Amino acid sequence: MDYDAIVIGAGHAGIEASLALSRLGFSTLLITQNLDAIGRLSCNPAIGGLAKGNLVREVDALGGEMGHLIDASMIQFRILNRRRGPAVQAPRAQADKFTYHRMAKETLEAQGKLALFQDTVVDILLGEDNSKIIGVSTERGHRITATVVVLTTGTFMEGKIFIGEYEARSGRLGESAAIGLGTALRQKGFTVGRLKTGTPARVRKSSLDFSAMVEQPGDPVMMPFSFDYQTIDRPSLQCHITWTNAETHRIIRENIHRSPLYGGKIVGKGPRYCPSIEDKVVRFPERERHQIFVEPEGVGTEEMYLNGMSSSLPEDVQVAFIRSIRGLEHAQIMRPAYAVEYDYLDPLQLYPSLESKHVKNLFIAGQTNGTSGYEEAACQGLVAGINAARKLAGEPPLILDRSESYTGVLIDDLVTKGTKEPYRMFTSRAEYRLNMRHDSADQRLTPKAHAVGLQPDEAMARLQEKLSRIEMVKDLLEKRKVEGRKAIELLRKPEIGIADLMESVPELASFEEPVCYQAELDVKYAGYVKRQERQVDRFSRMERIRIPEDFDYDALDGLSAESREKFKAVRPLSVGQAGRISGVRTSDLAILMVLLARRTDHDDEA
Amino acid sequence: MIWTRATRIRILGRMNVHTYDTKDIIYALATAWGTAPIAVIRISGQGCVEALKPLFSRPEALGASASHTVLHGDLIDPKYKNPIDEVLVTVFRDGRGYTGEESVEISCHGSIPGIESIFAQLKDVGMRPASPGEFTFRAFMHGRMDLTRAEAVMEIVSSQSRLSHSLALGRLEGNLFSLIEEIKQQVLQVVSMVELQLDYAEDEIADDVAFPFEALEEAKRRIDALLSTYEMGKLYGEGARVVLAGATNAGKSTLFNLLLREERSIVSEVHGTTRDFIESKTVLDGIPVRLYDTAGLRESSDAIEMEGIRRTRKLLSEADLILLMLDGTEHDDTSVSQYRHLLEDPRCILVWNKTDLTTKPPAKGSYPLSAKRGEGFATLRDEMVRRLTKETDRPDGQALVIESSRQRDELKHASDALVRAVALAREELPMDIVAVELAEALHALGSLTGEVASDDILERIFSRFCVGK
Ligand SMILES: Cc1cc2nc3c(=O)[nH]c(=O)nc-3n(C[C@H](O)[C@H](O)[C@H](O)COP(=O)(O)OP(=O)(O)OC[C@H]3O[C@@H](n4cnc5c(N)ncnc54)[C@H](O)[C@@H]3O)c2cc1C
Ligand SMILES: Nc1nc2c(ncn2[C@@H]2O[C@H](COP(=O)(O)OP(=O)(O)OP(=O)(O)O)[C@@H](O)[C@H]2O)c(=O)[nH]1
Ligand SMILES: [Mg+2]
Repeated sequence: MDYDAIVIGAGHAGIEASLALSRLGFSTLLITQNLDAIGRLSCNPAIGGLAKGNLVREVDALGGEMGHLIDASMIQFRILNRRRGPAVQAPRAQADKFTYHRMAKETLEAQGKLALFQDTVVDILLGEDNSKIIGVSTERGHRITATVVVLTTGTFMEGKIFIGEYEARSGRLGESAAIGLGTALRQKGFTVGRLKTGTPARVRKSSLDFSAMVEQPGDPVMMPFSFDYQTIDRPSLQCHITWTNAETHRIIRENIHRSPLYGGKIVGKGPRYCPSIEDKVVRFPERERHQIFVEPEGVGTEEMYLNGMSSSLPEDVQVAFIRSIRGLEHAQIMRPAYAVEYDYLDPLQLYPSLESKHVKNLFIAGQTNGTSGYEEAACQGLVAGINAARKLAGEPPLILDRSESYTGVLIDDLVTKGTKEPYRMFTSRAEYRLNMRHDSADQRLTPKAHAVGLQPDEAMARLQEKLSRIEMVKDLLEKRKVEGRKAIELLRKPEIGIADLMESVPELASFEEPVCYQAELDVKYAGYVKRQERQVDRFSRMERIRIPEDFDYDALDGLSAESREKFKAVRPLSVGQAGRISGVRTSDLAILMVLLARRTDHDDEA
Repeated sequence: MIWTRATRIRILGRMNVHTYDTKDIIYALATAWGTAPIAVIRISGQGCVEALKPLFSRPEALGASASHTVLHGDLIDPKYKNPIDEVLVTVFRDGRGYTGEESVEISCHGSIPGIESIFAQLKDVGMRPASPGEFTFRAFMHGRMDLTRAEAVMEIVSSQSRLSHSLALGRLEGNLFSLIEEIKQQVLQVVSMVELQLDYAEDEIADDVAFPFEALEEAKRRIDALLSTYEMGKLYGEGARVVLAGATNAGKSTLFNLLLREERSIVSEVHGTTRDFIESKTVLDGIPVRLYDTAGLRESSDAIEMEGIRRTRKLLSEADLILLMLDGTEHDDTSVSQYRHLLEDPRCILVWNKTDLTTKPPAKGSYPLSAKRGEGFATLRDEMVRRLTKETDRPDGQALVIESSRQRDELKHASDALVRAVALAREELPMDIVAVELAEALHALGSLTGEVASDDILERIFSRFCVGK
């Protein structure tokens, strides 16, 4: 074998996978089409957001890199929903795209045991009985072998972009698609589908009239995504808000027939929740206007991103509708909006470890699994990398469950329910979200990463230190009286935040922002979080009834034919997971449950 | 461990352990056990038609029969080739029978020795008698019914009055299921609204969405209405215990017989005729009643009689209704006070008997009766029903009434969670906190219909099965 591991694609998934593998001591090759596009932010120049911010912090707690990359490149930081509940608060940062990419590349280059190579993978090599991967072959004719392979092709596998009547075989505008691999995988029996997504136009900063827009500043204090340090100090830029209007909508409606989507040229399914502007106009005719965020793409560039305006309409139409918007009347388009359609692999073909069920030692992560978003890609890449390494080491996989992380929810959803449209993380997907606050990701996951070998002892020590400082803050609030009441009681009132107590409890100033923030959420919501425990309990009971991987469903009398087929396709690892497969009947679960319970009894007796 | 095709399933009930083997062919009497013109034996399990062939006078016709066909013939003893009974056999092919399995129903003559000899033959060809509830268990397992329906079957089987039978039938028809489904949809709508808000930042969706208090309160009202039927459901389903107590020779046994409309208990002028309690079942205005005639309460040195009195006391403690009977010729307003502790009990009715022998006015608040002549009996009966139903109207056969404690618990759980959700929202706590309670309510409603699976649901339901259905 040339390497222990090969990672295909240096997007957000590939970066995490290759770093995890090499950091765990395995010789790893990262092959990607273009070294200058490593860690490129294809779409939005931002990391985080609701649920996604939680994912980034989970990646960090698990020993991944995304937190460091955004901390080193952020040009604006906000905690979203500060005035709302604990589960829906999340960090989001604007990134300087160039710095983000450069930091990613530098990190990979500095990593020992990790080789980088520019080429395009066109096929995978299988071992003697076709059940196991042994390497890859590339466009330029290299055959490279490895024991495990992680596939993270993003939007590039048989990618095709559309701008009105124009189409090209690209994965991003100006970057050629990876041709051949999708076809090769289809031939090898993988279920391959098409998905689509889109990105808005980039316009020139100096051509915009910001005085006609609403300013959107960042938070005064930046908080790091990473748990490795407590403070961060970077310059903060403004974003702006403007709105579409009746004229914008009229232009779009009159030209809708020129969209490749409406003309039927695009077959892939797009994301419902992140629709193109033409979709929004058609689907919500009663809405008078839609919000547009104008965001800088970086510090050393004039390109501005029009968040909320993705489109695949022809460029002349784009010019017209963009210029109908306040503040954008003279906008110069530097890059047009476009849609991209690409191959994805049905994630039902994966185990929760992200290993393929058909081909052993092949792990798949990121957009290739039907997700969309950098954060979604990164957390999968990390888990795939960890589990590929554990496979190499002969260790059982790391599987995170739905009650402990968004990462666990995401992977469980993918491998249990599959997806027919680009899957994006949402708060509402996580049932036990109160337990999964972004600020507690280290408590939840760092010990696991430490056990796996991706977090050093110092990370555990830092975690202990942070927890003890949070306790110190709580003690302080407990002891101190403000206007005759304990400070801690005041903080429980909805309208009072910890910042309001700074004056009366000046010692608070000596604690770092993340410590105060977390103490505040703990105090405010401790009583309510308890109520969720019973739900978590019920969940865990069902997860604990394990089903062996090779369980013979055909031998199980009484199952309905539909459920039997579904069980065989998904191969759930627990009765809990079996219950989440869509369309499985309770009675079939009941059969499984009593049977497995009996089996456990039986084993106990034996 | 090797998996055989036969699946043995064991339900661990709190008290009883049933081992169900879904591969076995099982049989049971589907009609009441006893002498009747016709009895129906139900057989279920893969291959049961084939297995029955050697016992049937027309094996080829049986083997070739389509689903839902009826064959006429004799059941025979294969050893001696002699007919045992003339029967009708109804065949249900795979997936079509009550259990969702291949099954057969034999209509035979309803004599107990006849049925027993058929059972012996069935056993000989490898079938086995069904365990309690096994037919319903199989039907549930094969997706033929949801939980509320499965529970209704069990309630029908054990129902003791025509009214409780028809209430359970309503549940079997899925009325309960559809009502809960409706309530669930109502809650679900609120949940989707709340969760939608969780997915957007405050700069995308403003906080001005009004919280749907009204919808939640409405859902709670509907749940509570259903909950309030539980006492009723239990009364008509499980029935009530009525105990006749009082001094010796007061006429308890006479009234007992009157309520039963038969000479069940010995009546005599000797004090202490009834030495141990006698129990019998009757139906009072649709309410199944267990009636107890007891040993009269008096000072006694007789060991047997003292034991009888001790048992009377125990029965009194478990009674839903106590009829304290006194001989009107021997008592007046003041002498009654020796029974004060019973009279103060809200379950107690004072019956003033033998009014035909005296013109003295009956004690205050008592029900005058001549058990011998039947005077005052109708009034007493009405009062008994009134007390048992706690004055609520008797449900008509169409009403939706729950009688399982599991259903009551889930409904209570759902209702409590909704109350908490509404309270939290009123205190203006954030939606992610409120959502926890809404999820709890949805879970409880889902468990009720069995759409949410959990390990304890099955245990609670299938531990109280009875044979046959
Ligand atoms: C036009 C467009 C619009 C988007 N819109 C949104 C959006 O609206 N919302 C959202 O959340 N996300 C959006 N994204 C998605 C976001 O960019 C991805 O989710 C994220 O980048 C996925 O990360 P990844 O690691 O899976 O793949 P990518 O970041 O796409 O990285 C894949 C990498 O692998 C390389 N590669 C692929 N195939 C091969 C091969 N065979 N051999 C060698 N190298 C290969 C590619 O060159 C690329 O560098 C959009 C992306 C695009 C292109
Ligand atoms: N005249 C008259 N005699 C009654 C009436 N009710 C009962 N008796 C008679 O009273 C006697 C006692 O009746 P029982 O019914 O045996 O009384 P009991 O309370 O069961 O007595 P013990 O079993 O001995 O406690 C019998 O001779 C009955 O016929 C009544 O209403 N009028
Ligand atoms: Mg008597």
